[in-house]
Amino acid sequence: MIARLLELAQRGADGGADALWRRVERTTVAFEWGRLKAAASTEEAGVNLRVRHRGRVGVAGTTAVGGGDAGAQHAAPLLERALASAELGEEVDLVFPPPASLPPLTTFFARAADASLDHLIEIGDSLLNRLAREGCRVNVAIDRETTATRVANTAGAAGEYRATSVSVSADVWRIAGDDVLVVSDGLDGGDLPSDDALATLVASINARLDHALRIVAPPDGAMPVIFTPAGLSALMLPVTQALSGKAVLQGISPLGAKRGEQVFDARLSLTDDALRLGRPGSRPLDDECAPSRTTCLVERGVVHRFIYDLETAARAQTESTGHGQRGIFGKPVPAYTNVILTSDSDTQRVGAPHAAPLPLGGGLLDDIKDGLLVDELIGVGQGNVIGGAFSHPVALAYRIERGEITGRVKDAAVAGNAYELWKRVATFGADARWTGSRWAPSVLFEGVSVARR
Amino acid sequence: MIDRLAAALRRSRADYVEIRVERTWSTAVTFRGRRLESATASEDQGGFVRALHAGGGGGGGGGGGWGVASFTSLDRLDAMVDRAGELSRAVRVDPPIRLADVAPHHADVQLDLDGDVRGVSLAEKKRLLQAYNGAMLGVSDRIVDTLAVYRDEVSEYWYVNSQGTVLHELRPEVTLSGTAVARRDGTIEKGLESIGLRRGWKSVQDKAAGFREVAERAVQLLDAPMVTGGTYPVILDPELAGVFIHEAFGHLSEADFVYENPQAREMMTVGRRFGKPVLNVGDNGAAAGLRGTLPFDDEGTPTQDTTLIKDGILVGRLHSRETAAAMGERPTGNARAISFRHAPIVRMTNTYIAGGRGGETFEDLIRDVKLGVYACGAFGGQTMLENFSFTAAYGRMIRDGHVAELVKDVVLAGNLFQTLDRIDHIAADFRWNQMGGGCGKGGQYPLPVTEGAPHVRIEEALIGGDVPG
Repeated sequence: MIARLLELAQRGADGGADALWRRVERTTVAFEWGRLKAAASTEEAGVNLRVRHRGRVGVAGTTAVGGGDAGAQHAAPLLERALASAELGEEVDLVFPPPASLPPLTTFFARAADASLDHLIEIGDSLLNRLAREGCRVNVAIDRETTATRVANTAGAAGEYRATSVSVSADVWRIAGDDVLVVSDGLDGGDLPSDDALATLVASINARLDHALRIVAPPDGAMPVIFTPAGLSALMLPVTQALSGKAVLQGISPLGAKRGEQVFDARLSLTDDALRLGRPGSRPLDDECAPSRTTCLVERGVVHRFIYDLETAARAQTESTGHGQRGIFGKPVPAYTNVILTSDSDTQRVGAPHAAPLPLGGGLLDDIKDGLLVDELIGVGQGNVIGGAFSHPVALAYRIERGEITGRVKDAAVAGNAYELWKRVATFGADARWTGSRWAPSVLFEGVSVARR
Repeated sequence: MIDRLAAALRRSRADYVEIRVERTWSTAVTFRGRRLESATASEDQGGFVRALHAGGGGGGGGGGGWGVASFTSLDRLDAMVDRAGELSRAVRVDPPIRLADVAPHHADVQLDLDGDVRGVSLAEKKRLLQAYNGAMLGVSDRIVDTLAVYRDEVSEYWYVNSQGTVLHELRPEVTLSGTAVARRDGTIEKGLESIGLRRGWKSVQDKAAGFREVAERAVQLLDAPMVTGGTYPVILDPELAGVFIHEAFGHLSEADFVYENPQAREMMTVGRRFGKPVLNVGDNGAAAGLRGTLPFDDEGTPTQDTTLIKDGILVGRLHSRETAAAMGERPTGNARAISFRHAPIVRMTNTYIAGGRGGETFEDLIRDVKLGVYACGAFGGQTMLENFSFTAAYGRMIRDGHVAELVKDVVLAGNLFQTLDRIDHIAADFRWNQMGGGCGKGGQYPLPVTEGAPHVRIEEALIGGDVPG
């Protein structure tokens, strides 16, 4: 497969080459506004080639790969484009890693790979039935993916693996007059979801919907605010951006010069774990032949490590942390796999499901006289994220009064600085869960600015 | 290719089948700071099949759902036509999916390549971008970082369906963007330039001034105060007004949001008043020379100018063949897909607020404003249906009828219905904003679209920022 392409590349590029071949098969079932509407199937394959020639690095990609092979007829023009790209490139002291042993990791789940279309439709049907309620419309999507990946370089390193992933998402819409309420949730994993996981998904949506039916006046001023695992995005995004070696190299990371310093609450730890069993982001090696590992990013509030791919590592004169991610087109970039937030007070094993669906708030409501619970904000990711300052209107938020959720709040905005807030966490919740590729509990902060509008 | 697709169509026993094939040559050059990050040329190709069986789903009432197959290996064309048919039969939809009638079209269209980018070397493209990137870096040593991206493509496109439509097009596109990051101590500000055209190499020459300007503004913003949060009369510049109408209103006028949702349908009832009589809004996929312009959509329906709001009243919406049939309205040519990897869904093309007919100028809009905000450019925007939030690139205070000091962190947030209704003056200075980027919906990003507007005044809007107290 890519072996022949690399042989050819070795003759044309004096500094070696690496290549990634990936084939994806995807089956999607879509329920739109309460009924099954479409089934789709995708077959996609492509090759990404990187060469180093006269000290300069170039890349090229193509989906013109007949029969799953970058055969001779496609290999030569691909190499030619990669060399043309390298001719313009800057010099990078990039060294393709030598062969290394790969950690054992199961990424392929036959049950998921073999699940029939009817089975996927059944999962959707059961969700639809359990989420149906008067005056609401439900969308559900089930997506099953099987990928085959091969990655190799001219230094002799190589790896291949097959992986499965299944994602289930549902959103419930309720429109009453001009009030539009959308409550959504999803789960994903390497294997098919268990019945318990689906029940938890339904419970999670229903709990948030029940509390949202009553609209209450928003609070105003500085107050305790709970960010749910989903609501935490606004506070996590600046931190993960700032911990990327790429941002550090560019000189735009506020954490760039803080390695070894205590900059966050001493209970907070962050890890990126590419080896977490059953997660779609897990893999035995990255897309540049670096073996996967668990990387401690922040340990008890101290900045420990940034993530690097081969190129950013070469520029920063350090080692790749195994975070190279590449698509068919373009060059590899450093990217996280599974980001795990833990606190000292954690008793819950990472990735473990809860015995029973937890009530909204993660057990943090009790001591709050007047405050806000934030589940979703509008505009996260806009503007100058890495700077840490944010100001977002709420999309889904609830008022907390005397330890209880009293209703949904509209027309309020939450503002602050992520780095400042992470310095003074009040309490970590007991409801840690996966939200996409992030594992985190609800977190309570004191004195967060909330504005009514 | 057309013969091959026609033969594949004949294989299928489905009642409706369409096939799209695309072959795209693209190049991309990226500078970060003074460093060339990458210069690459790519080739992407693949196909898409969609089938509908009228009597699918194992009998009874109803019909088959959409069966969809996409693929990168054209050797798999016949197999994927069969697959799409099987998938349609496996899905039962009641009442069945119907498609509004569209007359079959035969067309072979080569859009104006305006200097075919395929004939320009990667080195020349690098030199062009290097010059624009250099224009940003040269502004001041406060500019600590830049990101400059050049991207072009030429896409050969084939479309056939079982109702007799046969299309072949050659579609060019070129986009340029520049981000300038200014920094002093802990303060970081940025400026953003973006150009996007459905044209070629000639159209992106002599653009350095725009890149320089955004870098200069990023430096100026270092000294600008944060806007004081509160409600103000707000004037949107044409760029932000265009983004606003696309994000906050345009998406609601996409019929796939309302066609099977009775409550949404009620909210978007034709005849409902959405604004004052000055407000006129539309979407024009046939406007000459814009990035969102194409002769046909991805269902083979000709594009057109669709009026959405006329004199403040909702009069139309954007349709695919399916949503038009479901609502008893006419298709508008708005079924679009970003590539062969995706099914066409209802999307905007070139969305606009029409220029005011009263001949008002920007000065007329601010003359009686004692204290207001002039919000300019857009760093981003998000809508959660009736709620929206837009980050302006920068703002200027308006004091006693005059434009005053520069302010930063201007975030415009509010309720769509209230805000549309509070648009009380629209200037006559309409312009299209030929920007890069694109629109995202249903996992399909970036779709080439254009927005256009004149200066627009909102009598009262909430500006986030430094919240007092």
